[in-house]
Amino acid sequence: MVTMCLPIILSKMRLSIIIILSVIIIGIGGCEDKPTPSPYKPTPYEIDIPFGFPTILNIPEGNPMTVEGIELGRFLFYDGRMSGRTHADSLMSCATCHRQERSFEAGVDHPDFPGGFPHGVTGLQTHHVMLPMINLVWNTSGYGWSGFLYPDNPNEDMQNIEDFVRLTVMAKDEIDSDTTTVKNLFQTIPGYPELFEKAFGSSTITFTNIEKAIAQFVRTLISANSKFDRYRVGEEQLTQSELNGYVLFTTEEGADCFHCHGGFGNPLFTTHLYYNNGKDTEFTDPMDRFSISNDPMDHGAYKATTLRNIEVQGPYMHDGRFATLEEVIEFYNNELQVSPYINPLMHHINDGGIQLTPSENEDLLNFIKTLRDDEFMTNKEFSAPDKFPDEN
Amino acid sequence: MSKVIRIISLISIITIIFSISSCCTGNPEPESPPSGILSFDFKHKINDNIIVYDTFMYMNEAGNSYLVNEIQYFISDVSISKVDGSSISLTNWEDIHYVDTDIDKTQKYTFKDEVAIGIYDKLSFTFGIVGEKNNSLMFVNPPESFMFWPENLGGGYHYMKLNGKWINEIEQVSPYNFHLGIGQIYYSYPDSITGFIQNYFTINMQDTSFEIKENETCNLEIVMNVENWFRSPNTYNHNQWGGDIMQKQEAMQLAVENGNDVFTYNIK
Repeated sequence: MVTMCLPIILSKMRLSIIIILSVIIIGIGGCEDKPTPSPYKPTPYEIDIPFGFPTILNIPEGNPMTVEGIELGRFLFYDGRMSGRTHADSLMSCATCHRQERSFEAGVDHPDFPGGFPHGVTGLQTHHVMLPMINLVWNTSGYGWSGFLYPDNPNEDMQNIEDFVRLTVMAKDEIDSDTTTVKNLFQTIPGYPELFEKAFGSSTITFTNIEKAIAQFVRTLISANSKFDRYRVGEEQLTQSELNGYVLFTTEEGADCFHCHGGFGNPLFTTHLYYNNGKDTEFTDPMDRFSISNDPMDHGAYKATTLRNIEVQGPYMHDGRFATLEEVIEFYNNELQVSPYINPLMHHINDGGIQLTPSENEDLLNFIKTLRDDEFMTNKEFSAPDKFPDEN
Repeated sequence: MSKVIRIISLISIITIIFSISSCCTGNPEPESPPSGILSFDFKHKINDNIIVYDTFMYMNEAGNSYLVNEIQYFISDVSISKVDGSSISLTNWEDIHYVDTDIDKTQKYTFKDEVAIGIYDKLSFTFGIVGEKNNSLMFVNPPESFMFWPENLGGGYHYMKLNGKWINEIEQVSPYNFHLGIGQIYYSYPDSITGFIQNYFTINMQDTSFEIKENETCNLEIVMNVENWFRSPNTYNHNQWGGDIMQKQEAMQLAVENGNDVFTYNIK
């Protein structure tokens, strides 16, 4: 009986061994076809908060900042193919208008936009001039001259920097493209899918992830090392003229800039709020603050810009009516216009302005120039990358 | 084997009994006295009516026709007292509160302190911030940070910004910035400052009593009557003081003296 069964048992064992080996071989072969995906582990990025700056940051829950996201965002910010086009004449990126050396504004000396008045790919001029793109991670109230994008907007597509990216791509007077074309183009550019994989865990490019990456990069654009910043922490002294200007800046009997534009206690040098500062007597702009708030007092009101790096950020005011800071100071000195909508903080209105003397003008200007942060405007981390991903 | 199991079981039971008895006979957490919650709702009126903002419909004691655009201020160090004289400072968690007529959430101040139950008949708080606490950069976040008072004028924070417009003596609409904070002593106005004056003051309200009940929230309506800043005991005339007073200690002193009866409270 035993002798009869033994060959059968042995043959069954051989069969089992063959099956097991086959499974192992197939398994190994399968591994070669489907490599184990590398786990998605982006590196968290933390904002280093400068002395006296707010601790509350505008970073949406759905877009935490990561080293990989910021790196990708920087490429996209500078890549002219954000226009969805590849012809050299049709390239346009954020950086086409937002120039680092002009504190991410156009600047009156922009080579393609005379006077600092940007136009889009098709030549259509933007409705307003630009706002500086710095320290936006601390803007918790609203973006744009009218604040039309704001975090608690019931319209979830109109809340933050991410939305600004999409609107810019689609705007007729800016990039004039569409999100599908742009994301499809980047999907075909070697190197980008891998960067999206690292940043967001998928090499399939979505426009949502394009928005997120650029917004992450923009939130790193922090300017906090001006001469005045060093003065605040006792590292550098201001000249007597600059100190005189500082007093004028922060006193009601002087120029009273600080209520809207900040100072020692508000180092953002803006409240990010909206004021009718006496530029006009008639208000027909469909994109003023009133268009958002419906508060009649907001006719002709616009965001108070940050004065950090303001020296290089012309042209000034929402419509770019002033090319130089001297013109701006002269406006506040003598050219204020009375209207029912003037903000109450403009308490010099019935005098036509603050009426500084020529030497006071000079002092005030010298103080404002202490807000210039050259390190920020030359920081390599914010500059155009040496190569784009497909140039490696 | 069964003997070993019995011994182990016995030891376990004894251990459990000791554990339970030590829990019961050890030092228990002292039982907190019964308490409730106190909450403020801030209202802003002119005389008996809620303010209609940005509308010329008010006349002050001096005869100035005026409107109110916005009011922003700090109150701090709230204290409540019982009839027997015992008092509680509600300063354990948040001793300074910011109120802004443009930001609804600031108009509610719910104290995190547990307030002992009982009937209270006095309520007081500091209008503004006492000198030793009024330090620059203690608020780095908006909107409080926007209240900073310039270093060269004394530093710290505005106690209040009351902004609006009035019709001046030559019938012009003129802005007023009725701002209170640290005052200055000038050797030569407005440049040479030789000293500073703390203008914060204590508001005492003794007209009503309120009861804190166990596990309930007592809501008090704290009402600022804006007109009282301009009325009593000093008649404040915008034509005399103009649109800005941060560097006019005399004007701020009038406001401080008038501020005593600016607030009242009601039980909701």
